[in-house]
Amino acid sequence: MNQGPAYLVLDSGECFPGLWHGGQERAGEVVFNTSHSGYEEMATDPSYFQQILVATAPMQGNYGADPSVWESRQLWISGFVCLILQESERECAWQERLNKFGVATMSQLDTRALTLLLREKGTCWGAMVSCEDPKEALSRGHKLIEQAQQGAKDWVYAVSRSEVEDIEGDLPQGPRVAVLDFGCKENSLRELKARCSVLRVFPCRTPAESILAWNPDGVFLSNGPGDPEKVESVAETVAELLGRKFIFGICMGHQILARALGGKTYKLKFGHRGSNHPIKDLLLNQVYVTSQNHGYAVVEDSLPDSVQVTHRNLNDDSVAGIYSQHMNCLGVQFHPESHPGPRDADVLFDFFVKQLK
Amino acid sequence: MPKAKNLQKVVILGSGPIVIGQACEFDYSGTQACKALMKEGLEVILINSNPATIMTDPELATRIYIEPLTVAFVEKVLEMERPDALIPTLGGQTALNLALELDQQGVLSRLNIEMLGARPETIRAAEDRERFREILNSVGARAPYSEMVRSFEQGLELAERMGLPLILRPNYTLGGGGGGVAYSREEFEHKLVQALRESPTHEVLVEESILGWKEFELEVMRDRAGTFVTICSIENIDPCGVHTGDSITVAPQQTLSDLQYQEMRSEAKKIIEAVGVETGGANVQFAVNPKTGERVVIEMNPRVSRSSALASKATGFPIAKIAALLAIGYELEEIRNDITGTTPCCYEPALDYVVTKIPRFAFEKFAGAKDLLSTQMKSVGEVMGIGRSFQESLQKAILSLEVDERGFSPVEFNESLLAFPNSQRIFHLGEAFRQGWSVDQVQEKTQIDFWFLEQIKGLMDFEQELSQAQELTLDLLLNAKRKGFSDSAIAELRGVGFLEVRASRRRWGIEPHFSQVDTCAGEFASSTPYFYSTYWGSAQKREADPKTVALLGSGPNRIGQGIEFDYSCVRSVRQFQKSGYRVAMINSNPETVSTDYDTSDELFFEPLTREHVAEVLHYLKPMGFVAQLGGQTPIHLASDLIEAGFNLLGSSLEAMDLAEDRGKFSEVCRELGFQIPLSDMATSLTQALSIAKSIGYPLICRPSYVLGGRRMEIVESEEELESYFGRHGNFISTKNPCLMDQFLDRALEVDVDLVRGPNWSVVGGVIEHIEAAGVHSGDSMGVLPPQRLKLEVGRKIESLSRQLGDRLGILGFLNLQLAVRDDEVFILEANPRSSRSVPFIAKATGVPLVDLGVKAILGWDREQVRPERFDWREMDKVCVKGVVFPFKKFAEADSILGPEMKSTGESMGRGEDYAEALQKAFLSSHLSLPASGEVFMSLREKDKAELLPLAVELVEMGYTLSGTLGTAQFLESHGLSCETVKKVHEGRPHCVDRIRSGQVAFVINTTSGRTSIEASFGIRRSCVDYAVPCITESGAAQAFLVALKRQRSGHAVVSPLSPPLSSD
Repeated sequence: MNQGPAYLVLDSGECFPGLWHGGQERAGEVVFNTSHSGYEEMATDPSYFQQILVATAPMQGNYGADPSVWESRQLWISGFVCLILQESERECAWQERLNKFGVATMSQLDTRALTLLLREKGTCWGAMVSCEDPKEALSRGHKLIEQAQQGAKDWVYAVSRSEVEDIEGDLPQGPRVAVLDFGCKENSLRELKARCSVLRVFPCRTPAESILAWNPDGVFLSNGPGDPEKVESVAETVAELLGRKFIFGICMGHQILARALGGKTYKLKFGHRGSNHPIKDLLLNQVYVTSQNHGYAVVEDSLPDSVQVTHRNLNDDSVAGIYSQHMNCLGVQFHPESHPGPRDADVLFDFFVKQLK
Repeated sequence: MPKAKNLQKVVILGSGPIVIGQACEFDYSGTQACKALMKEGLEVILINSNPATIMTDPELATRIYIEPLTVAFVEKVLEMERPDALIPTLGGQTALNLALELDQQGVLSRLNIEMLGARPETIRAAEDRERFREILNSVGARAPYSEMVRSFEQGLELAERMGLPLILRPNYTLGGGGGGVAYSREEFEHKLVQALRESPTHEVLVEESILGWKEFELEVMRDRAGTFVTICSIENIDPCGVHTGDSITVAPQQTLSDLQYQEMRSEAKKIIEAVGVETGGANVQFAVNPKTGERVVIEMNPRVSRSSALASKATGFPIAKIAALLAIGYELEEIRNDITGTTPCCYEPALDYVVTKIPRFAFEKFAGAKDLLSTQMKSVGEVMGIGRSFQESLQKAILSLEVDERGFSPVEFNESLLAFPNSQRIFHLGEAFRQGWSVDQVQEKTQIDFWFLEQIKGLMDFEQELSQAQELTLDLLLNAKRKGFSDSAIAELRGVGFLEVRASRRRWGIEPHFSQVDTCAGEFASSTPYFYSTYWGSAQKREADPKTVALLGSGPNRIGQGIEFDYSCVRSVRQFQKSGYRVAMINSNPETVSTDYDTSDELFFEPLTREHVAEVLHYLKPMGFVAQLGGQTPIHLASDLIEAGFNLLGSSLEAMDLAEDRGKFSEVCRELGFQIPLSDMATSLTQALSIAKSIGYPLICRPSYVLGGRRMEIVESEEELESYFGRHGNFISTKNPCLMDQFLDRALEVDVDLVRGPNWSVVGGVIEHIEAAGVHSGDSMGVLPPQRLKLEVGRKIESLSRQLGDRLGILGFLNLQLAVRDDEVFILEANPRSSRSVPFIAKATGVPLVDLGVKAILGWDREQVRPERFDWREMDKVCVKGVVFPFKKFAEADSILGPEMKSTGESMGRGEDYAEALQKAFLSSHLSLPASGEVFMSLREKDKAELLPLAVELVEMGYTLSGTLGTAQFLESHGLSCETVKKVHEGRPHCVDRIRSGQVAFVINTTSGRTSIEASFGIRRSCVDYAVPCITESGAAQAFLVALKRQRSGHAVVSPLSPPLSSD
């Protein structure tokens, strides 16, 4: 593995020096996550597609790698940036995995300065370049950014399964749930599996009638990457399902649900990513700490009157969840399936399954 | 729900004198809570017996009672105050136990007082180990296998069944008192006896050994709506087997995966719900098997704790303050996060740095005590280092210990110091790697997690790289600084000077970045001025600020330098601010109020080394720095900081030197015509013998370079002098001669604290010691106003003190120790700084000594200060300072008092008269005052006549007497009946057997001379072990008698502190 000087170049022109740990030079949206642990869960979460993940917790890779906690079968992040990366002879599994998946990897970068900049200026694009000269890094980096931005905009389509997958549940008497895969985390499936008789995971552009043909008791809309506005056809599909089956959406699934209900979404300045965000849940009447990872949110005023805002992010009061008894649906912006993060909100899966009886 | 409406008056219980396991972290939590509740408009009534605390400062509560924390006295306060509620969760185990007693005795229900924060059932559920285990089972958690043992026989039977090693945990004790790990049958039997005795319920939990498992702690909070947050995860570097207070710990945890961590967090949530913690802070300790990942719960505390103070400092989240607000009815979502100012408190802090805590020990103070760590806490203080990386944080923490400014200093490697946990192990870990040990080898010996060992090995490898490199390049130096190496360490490794390294850094722009502790890893803007230095960021520039004063704190608590200095630091902030200055506090001790982010205008959490302090000053460019409030630590740094171009405020370096340098000080005293004890220096025994002839016995001898009274002994004869040289000759040489001072036998000692401005001075008080000369001033009880000192002698002492202050050129504080014999005054010592006695004096007399000290430092003149307003003699009560010792924790140590300080804390007894004050001081110092029973006396020859009247009174009061042969014969010959008991070497049953069997109510044992001291060790030790009061000095014995009489007369009387004199 070739270590050497490297730079994280931002589209706004800033250039952060650090140490290269291998991978391919790549560009992506630069986002920071404040979780102390869970680098594997984050990197394998498809919602991080096309993103350079900056870990604010300084010591990364400490506890190695364990594919049993992965949220998919691969690493989705374009780049991984931290202050110190574990790389001893005894334990360097995490670095090896990053290398194996070609993830651009840097350490010894002033992640706090970078975080403060992202906080002030908002999420931006960046590229990770392995070279000595900062000027060269800038020009190479900007080219990488341009190329990356040329790519397809429907990121959900890019990460969704292309084949239907059936998963046997643990509860023979439990409900049948259709999962619309926008880049679904494994742990959502695990949580559902534990409460259902069978799951069928559909590719994101599956038409509504195919889903209904399977006769599910409820529909689960998964998390996924990117801008919900750019996701093609899915909101229409969900609109067709509305009112016919109980629908539960998480993160991207929640945003798509909101769009299907006629609502709008907007881009947050620098998103919410971490394991410590407080949520007020008016549905279950409690406050809990949640795992979050999203760059967009639902515009409250755009929602029809039949929809209640039932969850709020207490940090900025943004919409964190919606519920409509009339339309038979619930969407939450955060991640009750956690991984990484606290599990306090997993009660929402119970709530969902209860609605299916 | 906001504040409960019917709540108007709340009582907060403090934690009493500082003891091992319960130190100034509870002053920190209590102070935070008081401030928060006062701000809510509540009437806050505080009860604490510790005068050295900030919380007992008049502004912090509506009314403050410095009274014993016993049911009798607290009940009186509650009757007088009739509060609506009582918060027992902020004053450690002391407050919790006291609240339980108040509840059991029906005091709370009779007075209709609600317990907030923890209900009695909750406290019992968490504290009673058997109930706690049931609760764990009910939520699917597991405790280490254990059984409750109620008798010696039952314990032996269990040990047979379970096999060794086993852990013993006495029920309901603080700091794991009386517990420990037993590896052998013999050790088990010995510890079992002691543990059964320690437990107030005579119950001991004997537990499966989880030695070598990884240990973790979660600091959590919950509100009445059920909202639960984890404030901080803490990982112990030392695996299970070492008390968490004695372990090196790291936050946040570093070696668990998110899966493992979240399981632990979820379990903690279930546990505190099941225990019934309705609101407030709690901690849960876990052990994880490093091989299987299996997890057990060690214990939980339903209150704020030492760890929660650490967690607060580590994260910026003020646990105690929030706990207080939750207790009065708020919910987490209703309380704003002070640090960000925008987000609510129902979140979990995110750290973008690493925090390391290292305990500080005092084994050297207790001759005979084994430096071996176990489940019984022994450390007296702690430091915290903050860095971006673990390595940076660890090295900063080591530097904060103030042991060696090179950090990981080389030690003489000893394998057994690696294998058995001890206070020096961290240095031996480093040394092992220096000697080429592999991580695997060290892991096998220590069971410390590989990850930590690799990090330490990384430092040692880098050390080698640094010393072997051809030249010190920019990259190499930057790397060294990022790994936390001090300039001194680098200088030594490169064979250059300290200043040279600093110069290279400046040349290359390698200067620290001052990063903010913001609770959110940068996610939200924060204006809280809480900073740490790191070399993982670029240096910032800041304009010079002539209105900023940098205040140097006192670093880790140690015996001799503790909370009293934090009191001066914290108290001074307000006066500086009132005078128009901003205060930047620099300190490294996470337990203190001074390191609370809202105590000063800016907080720099940094090691108190000449390098780190200079970097803060270099960045701040303040008007100057203050070195006379934080004890000896900042005084030692002053000359280097002046050399680096910074301005010392208050007394000049020359003035301080004049006071501290023995030679120069004697010169000054001679010049002023003041008496000092005769003294000389000897480099050999022959010389010493001849000096002794001219000075005369008794003498005080000590090697010249030692600090804190180590190896200091009173020598009474030629024979003893020879013995002294025999034992300590190794420490005496031409370079380090032996100091020999005339010992003023039987003299009365007094402490004076005064403040001097340019043309004025104020004497804070003259404290008369209760013990005669020979006991360290920190260990002797004291009384204000003096009871035996003649008024004119007192006046003379005051005038002489003022003259000395003038002559030395003091600006600020001056502490003097003097001795009086036959009305002649001798000056023993001058300390040009605030002292241990300042808070006691301030609270006893109401003279705002620290405020005045600040004005003196700032150069205010007489007209502005009007010093004539402050006359300490106008005090309306008698106040006695009591002392608390940690002998119980050091099984092999002698409790005899001498010239070396050993106490950890102090109490204050306030009363209408001397007797009442004494009674309260003894009770507050955890000494019982037995109303009847047998008094065992073993007196040295010269005390016999003096203590005869005392013996007579004891008999008149109905006590029976027993004594060793000489004492008994003496008493009998004076007509008293006294049973003769054998000395230990005279065969059994002897006096120690008698004490152990519970026949003795209290002991008076005075002795001197090395042989007699050794011979009577068993007497004192058994008293410590069996909590029998043991008085070792005649003055103290007289005082004890006075207190006994008062106690027998009955009623408890309490009164709040009167408002202090204003200094405005």
